[in-house]
Amino acid sequence: MLPFSKKFPLFVVILALPLFSNGQPCTFSISGQVTDKSTGAVLPFATVYLEDTGKGAISDSAGFFRIENLCQGIYRVSVSHIGCETKKESLELNGNVTTNFVLNHFTEFLNEVVVHGKNSDNTTQISSAISKGEIQKKSNENLADILENIQGVSALRNGAGISKPVVHGLFGNRVSIINNGITQSGQQWGNDHAPEIDPFIADHLAVVKGTSALMYSGSSLGGVVLADMKNIGSGDWLTGNFNYILQSNGWGNTLNTQLEKGGKSLSWRLTGTLKARGDTKAPDYFLTNTGKKEADFALQLEKKWTKKWNTQFYYSLFNTEIGILRGSHIGNVTDLEEALYRDEPFFTKDNFSYNINAPSQKVIHHLLKVKIKFQPTENTFVDFVYGGQLNNRREFDVRRSGRSDIPALSLEQTSHFLQGYLFSQITQNSTIKTGVQGNYTDNTNNPETGILPLIPDYRSYQASAFFIFQNTTGKLFYELGGRYDFERLNVYAISHTLPREIERHYHSFYDFSFSAGAKYPVSQSLTTNINVGYTTRSPEINELYSYGLHQGVSGIEEGDPDLTPEKSVKLVFTADWNIRKNMFVQALGYFQQIDNFIYLQPQQELRLTIRGAFPVFIYEQANSRIYGTDWLFSYEPFHGMKFTAKYASVRGWNREQNIPLVNIPSDNLLGTVTWFPGNFQKFQKNEISFTGKYVFSPLLMVIFFCRRQLPQTWS
Amino acid sequence: METIKLFSILMLGLLVFISCEKDDPEIPNEEELITTVTYTLTPTSGGSAVQLVYKDLDGDGGSAPVITTGILQMGTTYSGTLELLNETETPAGNLTEEIEEEGDEHQFFFSSTTNITVAYNDGDANGKPVGLETLLTTGDAGMGKLKIVLRHQPDKNASGVSEGNISNAGGETDIEIEFDVTIQ
Repeated sequence: MLPFSKKFPLFVVILALPLFSNGQPCTFSISGQVTDKSTGAVLPFATVYLEDTGKGAISDSAGFFRIENLCQGIYRVSVSHIGCETKKESLELNGNVTTNFVLNHFTEFLNEVVVHGKNSDNTTQISSAISKGEIQKKSNENLADILENIQGVSALRNGAGISKPVVHGLFGNRVSIINNGITQSGQQWGNDHAPEIDPFIADHLAVVKGTSALMYSGSSLGGVVLADMKNIGSGDWLTGNFNYILQSNGWGNTLNTQLEKGGKSLSWRLTGTLKARGDTKAPDYFLTNTGKKEADFALQLEKKWTKKWNTQFYYSLFNTEIGILRGSHIGNVTDLEEALYRDEPFFTKDNFSYNINAPSQKVIHHLLKVKIKFQPTENTFVDFVYGGQLNNRREFDVRRSGRSDIPALSLEQTSHFLQGYLFSQITQNSTIKTGVQGNYTDNTNNPETGILPLIPDYRSYQASAFFIFQNTTGKLFYELGGRYDFERLNVYAISHTLPREIERHYHSFYDFSFSAGAKYPVSQSLTTNINVGYTTRSPEINELYSYGLHQGVSGIEEGDPDLTPEKSVKLVFTADWNIRKNMFVQALGYFQQIDNFIYLQPQQELRLTIRGAFPVFIYEQANSRIYGTDWLFSYEPFHGMKFTAKYASVRGWNREQNIPLVNIPSDNLLGTVTWFPGNFQKFQKNEISFTGKYVFSPLLMVIFFCRRQLPQTWS
Repeated sequence: METIKLFSILMLGLLVFISCEKDDPEIPNEEELITTVTYTLTPTSGGSAVQLVYKDLDGDGGSAPVITTGILQMGTTYSGTLELLNETETPAGNLTEEIEEEGDEHQFFFSSTTNITVAYNDGDANGKPVGLETLLTTGDAGMGKLKIVLRHQPDKNASGVSEGNISNAGGETDIEIEFDVTIQ
């Protein structure tokens, strides 16, 4: 593996098109104060920006701002502050206007906002979120690749187009991804199945750990990834942006646009993305068949019926085709060994191409969401959410007699989600969040494949309830929460023995989670945060009932229907330290003890088939332990220049066999230097940045473990 | 209160909905599966044929394959014919024809740890060997293994591949089987 990942898009062209113009005398001003809705505190360093003119101001230490020399007209104002939802309003200017803005904190960040820096939006840093601006710049990348910029998150990659997020060493079934409030429902179990989300539709991406994660269905054992949308602004003007990104390696083109119009009657937002990339290139040869095509679309409608009632409708379509390196498609272990030792992969072609042939993946994901919100008082609201999803995944292998056009794996998953949620600020200092959820999932293998499926058909029914209490007492903020899930799993499998028959299996699982967290500012510059949580996770379908050859890993995988739920206790400690005004350090340490940890254990035997020998992997359980640290260091030596370094390290240990866990990411260091050269006439918010990533050799970790016991397989 | 009532009705509807069973899955027709490989060796000078059979009826994984081996005469040339069957279907599907039709995309490779040499005795549309028809020649008496590999989409123009050398062939392995053979 290369120590540095070279993934610089060659050009990034971002065009913000003002879609209206304004009138004449230009002597007016807008001034006012920005405050936080939940605490009432003033918000220093908030950005107040007039989208149509490019003019803006930063609020001072008392939250005051002033923008001068404005013409008469109607302006679209955007007010942003790190950790808050950006507020957009339209303002009519016929004279000097004084107006105050009240911002909402992202609810999941009530207790983990880190504000760093002094006088410009560019120098602030949130510990665990990625803003719209960052997403826009990187929108040619996959969701997981963008999330990698959050410390503690790595990406598990399967070739050029497929990646999955890894949070604190855990991934797949253990990390839920919440797409606009709905738990993403697809084939999350597969290591080569990337989340079906276009990051560009999100307003911000975040990783939530701790108590706030309890309100989401799905497993939060590893963490919860949020791709959140924001509400459409109230100004009834059409605004939007177009982005085009060209990526030199693979000549990848990304074109995306977002248009929105607020207003009293019906607000709408349209988002669209088109991506096309050809074969990527290693230094000496093309990686044949690693292209990618993607077309995504989203429509959001909002209607405020009365002051108390409003509804939101959201539909998104994700549609992708991903090529898999032709030379990595193998038949058995002999082929695998041969492929690994070759200088250049088989089937490498001399010419670049946008064509995608087998092996490949085609994935379509529909998401429909309807939300009805009722807010009887300023401090209380109830919402009802329906979320429906349809996921269709087809994977194509190189097959005989024109069968390459017939998928080798074809899965269809339908899911329906219902939620009733209550948020109430019961006193000035305390808040409760509680709700009930129902989830139904139906998974079907299409028999068109002509291959026995790896995972069986199933239906899952889930009923859940959660409760979170948050309170601020003096300087101390604390929260407590619990969650209960009941799951019924009905499995309809094809027998392993001849003659083939249908076998039905029924399971019931009960999962409990509890969590408590506290945040305390030790001094003005140092804030500490501690969280302890207990979570259980029921085994998933692949862990219980996989059976057969998993082409993606070239091994025979066997599930175990007798697996029991995983039980985890996790302790997280964070310290945020503003050493100086221009220097900031965040340190995070975690320790997670997982009993009955489910993992794939390679077996001693090789299983003989007509295609040769294959290694056998069986799902087993062992008491395990995962621990690690994440570090963030940020320094602004002078105005206009910023250094950021992030370091993450995680270790996994199988306590029963006294060996390390597999699939734990290597230590890595990410460094970025950003230069803000200032504005050149019409070109504003310019920046130039260089990013380098260093992944430490696993050998260092071997040395670390040597002091304990080197596993025999490494001798 | 109306909304709570509505929500309860929805939840109740869900409960009714979940109590029905899903249809049985359709068992896929594994027409591409190779379950049986038969290598029939007939002495060119006449005499009874020897059959080497490798049979794995339940596909990848599951129970172990059944292997039938044979005894070859020393210093003899056999004409060899390979037959590939899918015996999960009735009547058994013949996959030999599929390989024949796509001869330019397939090639068998033979190797042995005893005194056996195998020469190709057929050709695809481009005159390159496929290996469904072969000539097998035995030398002195001995015991060892005979390995047969079928590669899909090998590079038939790579060096040595037409002569039966697998090392530069590439492609995916569709068959890789071994027989214990005795020459006496």
